Amino acid sequence: MPLPPLMRIVLAAVLTAALAACGGGSSSSSSSGDSGGTIKIGVDLPVSGADASIGVPTQNGVVLAVEEANKNGFAGGKFKLEASLLDDAVQGKHDPAAGAQNVKTFIADSAVLAMVGPFNSNVAKSEIPLSNDAGLAQISPSNTNDGLTIGDDAKKLRTAHPDVNTYFRVCTRDAKQGAALAQTAAQRLKFKKVFVIDDNETYGKGLADVFDASFRQLGGTVLGHEHITANQVDFKALLTKVKSLNPDAVFFGGNTSTGGGLIRRQMADVGMGSIAMLGGDGIGDDEFEKQAGDAANGSYMTIAAPDASKLPSAKDFIAAYKARFNGDVGPYSANAYTAAKIEIAAIEKAIKDNGGKMPTRADVLKNIAATTDFESPIGKVGFDAAGDTTSPVLSLDEVKGGKRVVIDVITLKS
Amino acid sequence: MTLTPGARNAAFAFAVAIALPFIGHNGAFTNFLADAGAFVLLALGLNIVVGFAGLLDLGYAAFFAIGSYAFAMLASPQFGIHLPFWVLLFVASGIAAVFGILLGAPTLRLRGDYLAIVTLGFGEIVPQTFLNLSQFTGGPNGIGSLDQPVFFGLRFGFDVLPYYFLILALIALAVWVANNLRQSRLGRAWMAIREDELAAAHMGINTTTTKLAAFAMGASFSGLAGCAYASKLQLVSPDQFGFNVSVFILAMLVLGGMGNIPGVILGSVLLSALDRFLLPQGTNLLHGFAHALPSGAFSNALGRVDLTNSRFLIYGVILVLMMLFRPEGLIPSGQRKAELHSADLDARAAAAEGELYSEAIR
Amino acid sequence: MELFLQQLINGLSLGGIYALIALGYTMVYGIIELINFAHGDVYTLGTFFSLAILTLLGVSGVVTGPALIAIVLVTIVGAMILCGLTGVIIERLAYRRLRNAPKLAPLITAIGMSFILENLMLYWKGPSPVPFPDLLPKVQFGVGAVTIQAKQVMVILLAVVLMIVLQNFVQNTRLGKAMRATAQDKDAAQLMGIDINTTIALTFLIGSALAGAAGFVSGVYYGSTWFFNGFAAGLKAFTAAVLGGIGNLAGAMLGGFLIGLIEAMTTQFIGDQWANVLVFSILVLVLIFRPSGLLGEALPNKV
Repeated sequence: MPLPPLMRIVLAAVLTAALAACGGGSSSSSSSGDSGGTIKIGVDLPVSGADASIGVPTQNGVVLAVEEANKNGFAGGKFKLEASLLDDAVQGKHDPAAGAQNVKTFIADSAVLAMVGPFNSNVAKSEIPLSNDAGLAQISPSNTNDGLTIGDDAKKLRTAHPDVNTYFRVCTRDAKQGAALAQTAAQRLKFKKVFVIDDNETYGKGLADVFDASFRQLGGTVLGHEHITANQVDFKALLTKVKSLNPDAVFFGGNTSTGGGLIRRQMADVGMGSIAMLGGDGIGDDEFEKQAGDAANGSYMTIAAPDASKLPSAKDFIAAYKARFNGDVGPYSANAYTAAKIEIAAIEKAIKDNGGKMPTRADVLKNIAATTDFESPIGKVGFDAAGDTTSPVLSLDEVKGGKRVVIDVITLKS
Repeated sequence: MTLTPGARNAAFAFAVAIALPFIGHNGAFTNFLADAGAFVLLALGLNIVVGFAGLLDLGYAAFFAIGSYAFAMLASPQFGIHLPFWVLLFVASGIAAVFGILLGAPTLRLRGDYLAIVTLGFGEIVPQTFLNLSQFTGGPNGIGSLDQPVFFGLRFGFDVLPYYFLILALIALAVWVANNLRQSRLGRAWMAIREDELAAAHMGINTTTTKLAAFAMGASFSGLAGCAYASKLQLVSPDQFGFNVSVFILAMLVLGGMGNIPGVILGSVLLSALDRFLLPQGTNLLHGFAHALPSGAFSNALGRVDLTNSRFLIYGVILVLMMLFRPEGLIPSGQRKAELHSADLDARAAAAEGELYSEAIR
Repeated sequence: MELFLQQLINGLSLGGIYALIALGYTMVYGIIELINFAHGDVYTLGTFFSLAILTLLGVSGVVTGPALIAIVLVTIVGAMILCGLTGVIIERLAYRRLRNAPKLAPLITAIGMSFILENLMLYWKGPSPVPFPDLLPKVQFGVGAVTIQAKQVMVILLAVVLMIVLQNFVQNTRLGKAMRATAQDKDAAQLMGIDINTTIALTFLIGSALAGAAGFVSGVYYGSTWFFNGFAAGLKAFTAAVLGGIGNLAGAMLGGFLIGLIEAMTTQFIGDQWANVLVFSILVLVLIFRPSGLLGEALPNKV
């Protein structure tokens, strides 16, 4: 049957797409072979757009761990380890849908035995049901939302196998971070009245809700709690409203890129330059000082990871990172490195237990879940049954003279 | 049974589509096909509004959002309601269609460009409202853990293949409906309105009901897409339905050919492929070059280039170039072509006249 | 009450920026009935141009005295010229060919242009908000319990002054008459010896130059800019133009101030998260129930 011209075009287009797909990045030609071949660690982080400034150094942490593993004879040199790097930012912003796609790509590639990521909590919500169904272990360097591991929310995410946990994180979750911030505000900084603002995203709103509740519990007054909108630039009306209530401080739940920097800057405009701003790790990046300018001083933030530059255990890692990437570590580089190291150790153990053959994802997952006292740049790491770290640590930073300095390291009870 | 050439082509195209996932044996590719399919559905729906009836809708993602949220609220632990997927397909399409009529009804008297802006406004209001009403919609977290379709006792699970076939079936339905509509009395009325609303009204066409039908039909397709896409992704959240999604779908129409069903499908698949494969791979290619080059400023710069960040630049260029040089799209619908190019002729005639006048004045 | 007045000032300052952008929308719509979707991005480009000029001049902080006046003038005029030329180029490349095409074609082209401009700015200055030097001294005037900042005065004054200048230009000069004639009837205008291509280009030049002025002002007012600002600002400014009556200069000004006020008051009395929903609801409602806006005349029903 001769094809009409139109059909020829359609067919050509479809086949082009098919070839592009097959010839492209995700060839699943992994050897499920007995010994030897390639093993991959999937990496899903936002590495383009506004999130890139924090996402790329995080991704570098994984890349470094994988390169070191290969150099030091990964699994006795039988297998080659690869990092499969995917981006979950769309148009410069982390995107839950893109993250879900990426996890599906990893699941479909039988060489991927574990993954590092995601960076953002809302992305994790779309990924956990998928990794849970496929039994693919994932370790996040930076998700802090409670609902990912705790309570009904977490149960709802494990749709396929409610009693199997595939999700772990090496950072401290919001309830701990929010509570620590509330404690810092009430007891250390002696604030009585705080106004809470959040960016109406998963991470920002989650953190702000916890802070709000904890601060009230500690006897503080929350003067109000407002949500800003995406892409907002004018906060003067909101801050005028806040100022009229005479707060001791403004709490911001969110990221620098979702309004943290601009709010701090405009606080000075409405005559609140001397009032403190508090926030979580979302505003703990250099971008915050850049955007807020002179107004940045007198802002406090917690980083949900110990400050690597302050820890003796991180010295070697920081030196290796600098040598390899020619730049400074990001706030989550050490966490990502640690997450990758834990996965690599789990894979190596699984290979050994399997007589040097390609292990299953289930074996790898079992080993990751059993991690205790893992020596890493951020100290000793282990996971509890929910997937949370057993040694939560926060560093408390303050912006002084335009620079973020660590003023305290808070160790929490897990 | 003899098939018309058109039907034979369609059958052939679907046969190819069914075979595709088995060519690659590649989950990532099948996953791409399923997502591209969801956008084909959306593009077919928008094509009824823009391509057939000539009403520019810049907020089509709002109906996609309404369909998806309708499904999510009625098939998730959110309110503990778990209606069967197959029932919800109709319910969600119906709800989306009702909103199509609600938005359409007051805007019918508006001129084309005002209508575009009203729909754009609507497209901004809907996701923000879903975000703000967090007690019903989960706010920024959206609604997760959605029910999966069950087909004769088999749960779809997370394997992408059944979703792909579900979406293919929906596309087949949509193509059949759209094609029959096009050839029906209603379809001819749409084209008449598109060409000249005043004349159409004078010919006795009831422009009000005709336009409303276009909005309702277009929106109902997005309801189908919403159900399929949300159940596949297991999540709806307000950030999936922004203006860029509306423009993405519009760009598919402009590229493929407004008003032409094969054209719209082609445009849609091409843009999805561009989005998912060509840009990331182009980026990897450049980075590969950068690695191969001796390190220096140029290779560093090349290593930082990210084509995926340029996707909207590329959509913008597509919109502009297509509108300027081939407004009828890659596969034009004959009628549309005549309309769009008559403008050129008018312009040329007007320019020639203008020159005559200015000469006469001199 | 003080709080209400303070929010009034906030709203008017924000509204002044909307008003300057809305003037451009209204002029272009008045003359060729095109919703120039890329106009908001031309405004954002104005902030970037201003920043580039200030960087060239070596300004990084507060300036005082005559130097301040000179710098403000150089920057604002520079941004206006650059934006004006951008507008003319966009019209020449993207819109002129489509002058007689069906309505949808130029509108879709304009959306494409908007995406192109946004991405060019993304390449130029990156994806994060870009800080803008605080060049005005932090002077404040206390009126009762209300404080007004120097930059707020600048925004509101500049918007009003530019509107008056423009109104006079359109009403009393030859070129202005040509613009009005072209807006009313292109063919007749051509018969009268008016070069409509030049007139339309001029309209784009002036409208885009005003967006450039708005860009400078907003950069100074917020102390930052961002490649994606144009989308929301443009949409709200268009709402302002529609609310005031599209094609009507005074209406654009009135609409701009009103939208600014509505935003500030929504934040104060309802909640910040509803400000956008309210503004866009107004857009939809005005277009549906009173497409001619507050000051506009009923438009001839051209389909």
